[in-house]
Amino acid sequence: MDTASTRKFVGQILHVEDDDDDAELTTIGLAQAAVPLRVHRVKDGIECLAFLKHEGDFAGSPRPDIILLDLNLPRMDGREVLDAITQDPTLCKLPVVVFTTSAAERDVSWSYQRRCSSYVVKPVGFEDFQKALRVVTDFWFDVATLPVAND
Amino acid sequence: MGIRDLLDPAVDLAAIIDVVPNAIVMVDREGRIVLVNSQAESLFGYARNELLGEPVEMLVPFALRGAHPHHRAAFERSPKSRPMGAGRDLYGLRKDGSAIPLEIGLSPIRTESGIYFVSAIVDLTERKRLEARFRATVESAPTAMVMIDQAGTIVLANAELTALFGYTRDELLGRKIEILVPNRFRHAHPGLRTQYFGERVARRMGEGRDLFGIRKDGTEFPVEIGLNPIGTDEGMFVLGAIVDLTERTHQAQALRAANEALEHSNIELQRFAYVASHDLQSPMRTIAGFVELLGSRYGEQLDAQARDWIQRAVHATKHLQAMVRDLLEYSRVDANPRPFVRVALDEVFDETVAMLRAAIDESRATVVREGNLPVVEGDRSQLAQLLLNLVGNAIKYHGEEPPRVSMSGGKVDGEWRFAVADNGIGIDPRSHEKIFEIFRRLHTKEYPGTGIGLAAARRIVQCHGGRIWVESAPGRGSTFYFTLKSDPEGGQLGHGIHA
Repeated sequence: MDTASTRKFVGQILHVEDDDDDAELTTIGLAQAAVPLRVHRVKDGIECLAFLKHEGDFAGSPRPDIILLDLNLPRMDGREVLDAITQDPTLCKLPVVVFTTSAAERDVSWSYQRRCSSYVVKPVGFEDFQKALRVVTDFWFDVATLPVAND
Repeated sequence: MGIRDLLDPAVDLAAIIDVVPNAIVMVDREGRIVLVNSQAESLFGYARNELLGEPVEMLVPFALRGAHPHHRAAFERSPKSRPMGAGRDLYGLRKDGSAIPLEIGLSPIRTESGIYFVSAIVDLTERKRLEARFRATVESAPTAMVMIDQAGTIVLANAELTALFGYTRDELLGRKIEILVPNRFRHAHPGLRTQYFGERVARRMGEGRDLFGIRKDGTEFPVEIGLNPIGTDEGMFVLGAIVDLTERTHQAQALRAANEALEHSNIELQRFAYVASHDLQSPMRTIAGFVELLGSRYGEQLDAQARDWIQRAVHATKHLQAMVRDLLEYSRVDANPRPFVRVALDEVFDETVAMLRAAIDESRATVVREGNLPVVEGDRSQLAQLLLNLVGNAIKYHGEEPPRVSMSGGKVDGEWRFAVADNGIGIDPRSHEKIFEIFRRLHTKEYPGTGIGLAAARRIVQCHGGRIWVESAPGRGSTFYFTLKSDPEGGQLGHGIHA
């Protein structure tokens, strides 16, 4: 099985988050991962799609292995992003982990209906926050097999 | 065919006249009494020999005596059977001087010896008395009352009615009832009247409609009207009782407004609670996170003092987060009471023990249920929170020995009474009331907690119509008692009571 750990591999994470503090704490949390990771941060839905399509400022952007997506974003929120990704044949394979403060039933159902890979409510306590990120990276980069790029 | 021919010859006509239940007095052209029957004797209090040959005016009260001969003369001029004194109240004078109200029917009778006048006299005393009693009742009634005839004319109006509508009695008697009805309904009212006279049923008027009355000064007000048909020998009348609904309407509106305000206030409160939980927690996590990272990443470069301060800052943020979380829990207790359902407390107890597994194992506690707990009516999640708080406390506040906690419950004096007993550190009697206050803690250093548990427990118990108290002494363990309202036999499920 060709998992990330058997190759010289640097995982690429696209983190879509508007709050700078949360973004920083998330980056620190992700740094605990067993595999080397590169975290790319964008601040809203528009930047996210530009990154995924390698457009404008993000011309040379790499294809991310997973997307960590907050739902409540300015300009274009995570829900619209999820919609756009699901409907785009070149993007729909990308695993999207919704990582948000909202625990609303409505948001959870909606996200899974749009085929998000999983939905994680940002833990309130800092320790739990760290632990959640550790578990996410362990799962995606050590247990699961990631889809191969075709573009 | 004469009367005599109708009868058996053996029957004495004279005897019949004598026993007829109406008083009969016959007078001649000069107005002298020529015949009286037994009823006339008892009605006027005379023996017949005191009356025969005397002028009939002796039976007429003094005040009316002067006019009486004229009435006799008028009758003689056009003698035909008719009631006497149409439109007048007639009175007779008894031997003892008292006047009695009478109804008199007159008939002329021609004989060979001339014309005589026969009067049949009915004593109206009883009838007048009853009528007077009726009028007095209506007059003194605390409700406005009005009586109309079939033409809709007001024939009776009590004091309350005149006060309510601002008319004097004279301004109402003889007028049509429609003057009390606002213009826009006036047109349809006569039709409704006619319909009611056909029904003749005692009932409320205008079921399902809003009714209004209009005062003399033109102001309108809402009313409730009850109708009663009254049959008399003068014809059908309708008695209406009118209640001014202005006060009731105001109160209903005030109640509605108060409820709306309460509803808004509740919504505001819930929004506040949501903000407290949701929006505050993100920055709290940020503070906790960065301070903790400060400690873990730079701890070695800092002196012991700095590390200590960082430690205490982290501890405080954790406490803050716990308080906010608990405050949210507490405010949710009566924010939106759910309808009560049947709750099996046995199950809730077992679930509570399962949730406290970690704490139980860590402190090597024994938690038992003594006997079966009843099925009660209430809000399941609130009752679960209640048990969690009480049993959790019982485990937490232990001394040297491993905690032993037991819960029991049963019916006492018509309500459900429960006890959660422990062998823990106990509570000083001086603090038995204080501990139920929000954020009030007795052992801040030695035992963790936010001080909401018992305050929330009390809120929940109160929402269920009960009370909570403790029996305890330092070093002697504690038993927390609480009651829940017991539903009446075959009772209905209700909503929580706001404390």
